Amino acid sequence: MLSHELWTANADLRQACLEHPFVQGLGNGTLEGDAFKCYVAQDVFFLKAFFRAYGLAAARCPDLERAGVFHGLMGGVLEELKLHEGYAARLGIDLRTVRPYPAARAYTDFLLRTAWHEGLDRTVAAMTPCMRLYAWLGKKLRPRLRLDHPYQRWIETYSSDGFEDLARSLERLLDGVATDTPAVRDAYRYAMRCEHDFFAAAMEETG
Amino acid sequence: MTSFDQSRLVRGAGELWKQGTEAAFLDAVRDASLPRPAFDRWLVQDFLFVQGLTVFASLVAARAPRDAQRVTIQGLAALNDELDWFEDNLEQRGLDVHPSPHPVCQRYTDYLLASAYGKPVEVLLAIFFGVEAAYCVGWGRCEPKGPYAEFIERWTSPAFIKYVRVLQGLVDTHPHPDQQAEFDEVMRLEHDFWEMTWKE
Repeated sequence: MLSHELWTANADLRQACLEHPFVQGLGNGTLEGDAFKCYVAQDVFFLKAFFRAYGLAAARCPDLERAGVFHGLMGGVLEELKLHEGYAARLGIDLRTVRPYPAARAYTDFLLRTAWHEGLDRTVAAMTPCMRLYAWLGKKLRPRLRLDHPYQRWIETYSSDGFEDLARSLERLLDGVATDTPAVRDAYRYAMRCEHDFFAAAMEETG
Repeated sequence: MTSFDQSRLVRGAGELWKQGTEAAFLDAVRDASLPRPAFDRWLVQDFLFVQGLTVFASLVAARAPRDAQRVTIQGLAALNDELDWFEDNLEQRGLDVHPSPHPVCQRYTDYLLASAYGKPVEVLLAIFFGVEAAYCVGWGRCEPKGPYAEFIERWTSPAFIKYVRVLQGLVDTHPHPDQQAEFDEVMRLEHDFWEMTWKE
């Protein structure tokens, strides 16, 4: 299947994400609170764009069945946003004043350009890495959970069966609407690169 | 030298305007010390950028209020001529006419297209003015002589300056509170674009 081939072809980037100090710190519970705060704030900005991109993808579907799947995925993003709003309230982040970092803006501009301007195949290819990567990272980090782990909720959310189902439904859409073209491969890989840069920015910006 | 110092957005951008219009790259063009490979790397990316800008301009023209239609449609036609010129020029120089985008170039064109669909048209006029004014003033710091005279002359022509001044006027007649923030973002992207060519 195309989704599996693309995931395998980008093993280098997913491994780089897993090994990034931000993700390792998240798993070990040693990540500085400021870096996590920064990440949460930036991720809220990102998720709002992701939500819109799903909406644009739904509008491009010729059939209501697939549009309905995007509708379900939009619900998943709203759940994630609730999780983040909970973090923001606890960590004292004012989400109204968040300014996106260049890495976040590069990622959201890429997603929205693709969703507005390119075909459904490239749009789904640009959106799948985020979902599959987070489901994979969640499962990789889950064995490190312990009592009083500071990032327990994050790890539990992304390693959950519910999140895996969302990732799989997006991959099924990818397999249904896309063929193996250079443009689809480029969109998938660029999104994976953006994921890595997004983690890196949270640490770089907080020193 | 061409100046847009009377522009509200240029004044508001302050240091960012300077960063978007002054660059070591342009200094090296001016004193003829820029190595040709560095110029060629920039030129192929600028070709890709102009392709993105052409799509942006077409969307602005499609959404423009009546008094902005003439200049945006004329701008679009000029960009089409520019693409023809780029294709001929790149071929003559033996350069790739189907290059891969540098991340900085991709970032900039993603920004333009995402904005073209999603931002108010008044903001798009500010973005358009920012892109063209930075180019106009950046190249306007160079005298049309030396190995890059043809390029300097092309991008400092009186017709180009006049066109940018019309865009400046449209920004003033169609104000929007988000214009400054996006004009500033254009200057950041311009800065990165000038710098891009130094690295392989």
